[in-house]
Amino acid sequence: MQFRRGVGSRLVKMAEARAGAKRWEEMEIDVLVKIFKELNMIEMAPVSRVCRSWRMACADPLLWKTLDLGLLKSNFIPTRASPYVWVDDRSDRRLTGVLKIAMALSRGSVSCMIFHFNLYMKDEHLNYIAERCPHLKRLVLPAWNRITKTGICQAIRRWEELESMTMPTILYPPYIMEEISRSCKNFSQLKIMGTFDVNFALSIHTNLPRLKVLSVRCSRLSKDALLFILDKMENLEVLNISHCLITEGPASSSKRILRELDSTILEKALRLHEFFYCMDSTCISCRRMKTDEGLMRWYRYEDWFWRKDEVSSLDLGDYGKLFDEWCVNQVCR
Amino acid sequence: MAAAGGSGSKRYTLKSRDGEEFEVEDDVAVRSQTIKHLIEDNCADDTIPLANVTGKILALVVEYCRKHAQVETGGGHARSTGLEDQVLDEGLVAWDAEFVKLDQDTLFDLLLAANYLEVTELLDLTCQTVANMMKGKSAAEIRKTFHIVNDYTPEEEQEVRKEIKWAFG
Repeated sequence: MQFRRGVGSRLVKMAEARAGAKRWEEMEIDVLVKIFKELNMIEMAPVSRVCRSWRMACADPLLWKTLDLGLLKSNFIPTRASPYVWVDDRSDRRLTGVLKIAMALSRGSVSCMIFHFNLYMKDEHLNYIAERCPHLKRLVLPAWNRITKTGICQAIRRWEELESMTMPTILYPPYIMEEISRSCKNFSQLKIMGTFDVNFALSIHTNLPRLKVLSVRCSRLSKDALLFILDKMENLEVLNISHCLITEGPASSSKRILRELDSTILEKALRLHEFFYCMDSTCISCRRMKTDEGLMRWYRYEDWFWRKDEVSSLDLGDYGKLFDEWCVNQVCR
Repeated sequence: MAAAGGSGSKRYTLKSRDGEEFEVEDDVAVRSQTIKHLIEDNCADDTIPLANVTGKILALVVEYCRKHAQVETGGGHARSTGLEDQVLDEGLVAWDAEFVKLDQDTLFDLLLAANYLEVTELLDLTCQTVANMMKGKSAAEIRKTFHIVNDYTPEEEQEVRKEIKWAFG
């Protein structure tokens, strides 16, 4: 029998030991992955330290494809001036900790990241994940209050493979659309949460003419912006304006709220593959939009409510195991 | 040896690596996707050799599949109310929990067999059981539980430990 140094000799030793005990560290990676998918990231941390093969299995893209941190919220107080929130240090450190452990375990395997609308990250957090998730394809980040223009643009520049983004309404959208256009060649899906006006529509058209999917569900939507999108976005295939409060008239004066879509809009929408709309006084989402006067107060409703989308590729589904309620209790105690 | 069952359902003989034979009904056999595909593609005679599974483990797999097939068909009774379903489900969950109370080596082989035979529910059950044995333990404790040799050099281990250090203050 030949003995070699290092890993080789270990393999030989294992082969000898095989007659007796079962070798868990020799189990095929894809079987190990099936076991580890039952663990959340905190439970996975010690498992990944056990041996080399387990560490590899713990970083498998099958486990980390979607990192859903949708249960993690900042501890914050709304304020009157920009950025309109004050976040306590502990909850910033908590986010840093969660991101550190996720990045250390996943080792670049994450391709979709989801954050809560009350999770107010800073540039340093965003930068940390941008450096460590080079293959990100989808980002759901509904709160940008504390992120600077430079911060988000730097992150986008690293995410060349980005295809889909869910973002809040921002006051001046062109810069971000320009950056996406420059850096993300395969970008095709956008979801805006908040309001959607002509300026937004214009910056999308100018910079992302090849956009395929757009959802502005549960937003305050100007009729002019909608018409602009339908007229100009020739490559658009899917549009979701469900439960929107659609307004008509100049920005300055008091606006009229549309009760139904007129035939012009419906005709223009015919060319789309899929067009989702709902303006139904009996629909619970539409009613909530009305009660909230066009700016959905998501925090007042069920935890899953904001995660819904009629467009299946934008719907968030369930939270997954990686960061479950148990993790929340563990890190927030 | 296979013969048509009294109720008209086809029967198959599953043959383990060490030559043990298990005669099972069609609805039990097809709980394994691997066997189901063999049957569908007409690659299976009445006797199906399973070279990767020992008799000891195959006996367990058959016991599991038989129990689940039996519960699913409701013992011949039409299942009407949701409540009945729930009672049956709870019964089955308890049965599963008893079923996987196995020594570690057997659990190891059963998990691999479930993976090879693609018995999804049994694979989930065994994976969950093994995962539960890891929860709440340190890396050293897990190594001890599963008799795993630490193949990191001390320097590497220090590095890994530092990298995955739990960072909450």
